[in-house]
Amino acid sequence: MKSKLIALEDAVKLVPSGSSIAFGGSILRRQPMAFVREMIRQGKKDLTIYGYPCGLATDTLAGVGAVKRVEAVYTGLFQFGMSYNFRRAVENGELEIKDYPEVAQAARYQAAAMNIDFIVTKDLLGTGMAKYNPEDIVEMTSPFTGEKYHAVKAIKPDFTVLHEYVADEYGNVQWPDHRDADDLDMLFAKGSKRLIVTVEKIVPHNQITSRPNMTFIPHSWVEAVVEVPFGTHPAPCDAFYDEDDDHMALYQKLAKEGTWYEEYAKKFIYGTKDHWEYLDKAMSASHMAKLIVR
Amino acid sequence: MAYYTMNELMAVAASKELRDEELGFIGVGTDGRAYTMAVGIPMIAARLAQMSHAPNFTIFWNNLLSPKLDEIPPYLTQDYLTKWPCAFQPVTCEDKNEMLANGRFDVSFDSASQIDQYGNMNITAIGDYKKPKVRLVGCLAQPDHFAFVKRPIILTDLKKRTFVEKVDFITSVGYLDGKDSRVKAGLKPYGPWKVITDKCILNFENEERKMQLESVHPGITLEEVLDNMGFRPVIPEVIKTTEEPTKEQVKAIREIIDPNHSLLRA
Repeated sequence: MKSKLIALEDAVKLVPSGSSIAFGGSILRRQPMAFVREMIRQGKKDLTIYGYPCGLATDTLAGVGAVKRVEAVYTGLFQFGMSYNFRRAVENGELEIKDYPEVAQAARYQAAAMNIDFIVTKDLLGTGMAKYNPEDIVEMTSPFTGEKYHAVKAIKPDFTVLHEYVADEYGNVQWPDHRDADDLDMLFAKGSKRLIVTVEKIVPHNQITSRPNMTFIPHSWVEAVVEVPFGTHPAPCDAFYDEDDDHMALYQKLAKEGTWYEEYAKKFIYGTKDHWEYLDKAMSASHMAKLIVR
Repeated sequence: MAYYTMNELMAVAASKELRDEELGFIGVGTDGRAYTMAVGIPMIAARLAQMSHAPNFTIFWNNLLSPKLDEIPPYLTQDYLTKWPCAFQPVTCEDKNEMLANGRFDVSFDSASQIDQYGNMNITAIGDYKKPKVRLVGCLAQPDHFAFVKRPIILTDLKKRTFVEKVDFITSVGYLDGKDSRVKAGLKPYGPWKVITDKCILNFENEERKMQLESVHPGITLEEVLDNMGFRPVIPEVIKTTEEPTKEQVKAIREIIDPNHSLLRA
């Protein structure tokens, strides 16, 4: 095993503009926000985003006009409401969206993990998603029973970017004892071509080897691992810290008013040179302490 | 003045649709009225059923099977969800999808921005899909509920802009164009089961598979129901009145199930 630990800036440099990327987590929880903010500082654009439910990462990138297409089951911000930046871009015809229901979208990642180029599903029969996307959702019948299905394409993004809990320097990524498992991160990792994982903390290798069943992404799948504490702020990282309601309220107020780019992006993203300066600007030490749940 | 609220009546009506030893799916919802519809009323319905005719009715809440429901905090932070006690939390979300596709869910609770006369629902886009007037949330697992769950229950307020003759976009397939069109499309014959609203209950129990009035809530007139719909449902010769909750049911909701008034918040 060799060390795959690199700096956030260097990990983001691996991803050129025009790439397709699968972002892990779910809506808010464990969205790779520090990675996304650094992508914006480095001027990445023309991105295709694959998600399961998309949320804060997509909305943030849509807010600076960096997203060309999204393929997901949902885009929104859960208890904080609609995803205004994203929604505006779709309504203006600037962002292409391909909608899939959960069983179909998960199957597409499963196909990538199995290294097959398509998979079949029944949950698109009769839907608008199939009607408006005939090039990617193709009706077919089972050669065995004659039952109707749709063939859907495997999701093989150029990059897969996940934010997780802990890893060693080699990229063995582990779960904590209690976590919110409502995501497909392990499946995303299985089917990835180039996998970048940011984590809350890099831990000693012997902490990994003492409980190997908790490793859900092994070093052999990982291209780069990055230590980014509070890397999903203002979204929550289960087992580490809760959502930052105050910061999200500000984010949403500006996004709703349409002043997000001028007043949010310029201050918290373009106006900070790196993740550390972002944390200093985004919240006080006492506020940070209150978010921690460990 | 009635001794119960309309939300309580809706919860009791929903509980009657739940059967012993069945498994129901409840989502997590957002806030305000949407939370009451997606979480509050279904959760109360499930617990009322467990306390009476269906002691072994079980729920899958978001990603938790058989969660402990003795106390639900008024505001769910991530950490509450992370540590919620339950019998089973799948290690990854594929498990829930496989359970859905395998038909392991008997009922689900869903609502939508638009629902049409055949029970097709739209949570994706208002207007032209490619350049919508209003972009909505997408799909989530709602199409999967309508494709795979035995008796999807729709919970929504009766409004003209929600109950439309034809949805702008079919996110979730109800009875499609009526009759057996749903089966011809390749889906199982069972689609949406009941539509429980704040004014009436509707079903699809006719050959045409068109939305049909089942009962009107006490104090509501047929005219009020029709004024709040963008199409005319099938109206039976005898229109029933929805059964009122009993005083015991109302007491159970207020004192045992939802003492903090966090489930029926709006």
